[in-house]
Amino acid sequence: MPLDQQTGPDDAQLVARSLKQDHEAFGQLIDRHASVIVNLAYRMVGNRAEAEDLAQEAFLAAFKALSTFRADSKFSTWLYRIASNKCKDWLRAKRPGMGQQDVDIDEVLDIHVAEEQTPERLLSQQQVALELEQAIQRLPPLYREAFVLKHVEGMSYEEMEEILGVNSDTLKMRVYKGRLKLSRELAALNPTR
Amino acid sequence: MNEHELLVQRFLDQDLSPEERVAFLQAVDSDPILRRQWLNLEMVVAEAAQLPRMTPSARFFTELKAKITPPSLSWWERFYATVTAPQTLEWNLAGAVAAACVAIVAVAGLFSLKPERVVEVPVATVPAQTIAAGTTQQPTVFVRLVLLQPGAQSVSVAGDFNGWDPAQTKLERSDGGVWTATIPLKPGRYQYMFVIDRKQWIADPLAAEEATDGFGAQNAVLDVAI
Repeated sequence: MPLDQQTGPDDAQLVARSLKQDHEAFGQLIDRHASVIVNLAYRMVGNRAEAEDLAQEAFLAAFKALSTFRADSKFSTWLYRIASNKCKDWLRAKRPGMGQQDVDIDEVLDIHVAEEQTPERLLSQQQVALELEQAIQRLPPLYREAFVLKHVEGMSYEEMEEILGVNSDTLKMRVYKGRLKLSRELAALNPTR
Repeated sequence: MNEHELLVQRFLDQDLSPEERVAFLQAVDSDPILRRQWLNLEMVVAEAAQLPRMTPSARFFTELKAKITPPSLSWWERFYATVTAPQTLEWNLAGAVAAACVAIVAVAGLFSLKPERVVEVPVATVPAQTIAAGTTQQPTVFVRLVLLQPGAQSVSVAGDFNGWDPAQTKLERSDGGVWTATIPLKPGRYQYMFVIDRKQWIADPLAAEEATDGFGAQNAVLDVAI
């Protein structure tokens, strides 16, 4: 999603007003960024209710720490970073086996794919989206995060670098591997592809 | 990730130079396996961009905005918060100079209102009998003047209180040659003399204090106080 598609006062103006106890201004920031944050959280945790709770936590954390926000970066970037960290914290707490250290689990994934491989199963076009959703949830968190920001939210590597604090070469490798795993999973479910 | 896979990935990210793109497309054209890998990856990218987006629920917005809005306070809580909140005074040199000028003018104004001096007059004991009345604004004291003068035909009094005009205040004769008059006076210090038979001026022999009149005679002094 383009970060700067908006009308009315820009984020910096709304942040300045929020710092002067203008809660209406922060409400506008919520309206503006809620969709992206909730969708990002949803792709990361795969559950709507949890996604909304995490998105709320992210906004509240941003609201409380607004005085520490440095105006030399974008508010959206700062907010996405907070949301991303909230999601990773949640994944670590709920799924201890899917932490950051588990980014390179090709072998495990390959076994997983092999188990679900059913040659007679053919995917319809409508099924592809559903299978892709589920396959994204099975990606290691760091691949999932990079893939979602790049291809679901449509961000550039430069924006991702700023949000995630990881250099773009590393992010590209995570996106490459995420794409590759997803394509293998989908291909495995539909041998004709 | 082998060399071909990496090439496909870079193609998807539009990371290839024009020459590399030509080489990649030629390789895809001649290698069905590579073409299949490329198409599968393209499908993932295309499908990901079209994944349905969820709309945050109304509950999400309601709850979140309620959490960032402070609870409404009573007038006392607002007042307390206002008077106890730390304030930062912003100032500049021009403002400070202006404030100093205002302060100087205000202090000078207060000094100009102060009387030059305050004189406190000690009040002596009044020889005449006095009765206070009319305390609403400036009290009036009724002073009874007494003179024993059995041989006089008329007695009057002249002083500060009647413009030294003996015709204005006459004393009444009582038994035994006692002449009396009761006159209303404001609190203050007065000089006076009795005038006997319109020609003889004498000071009150019962006066507790006398003062010179500047012409060699003595006036009786009457201090009237509440």
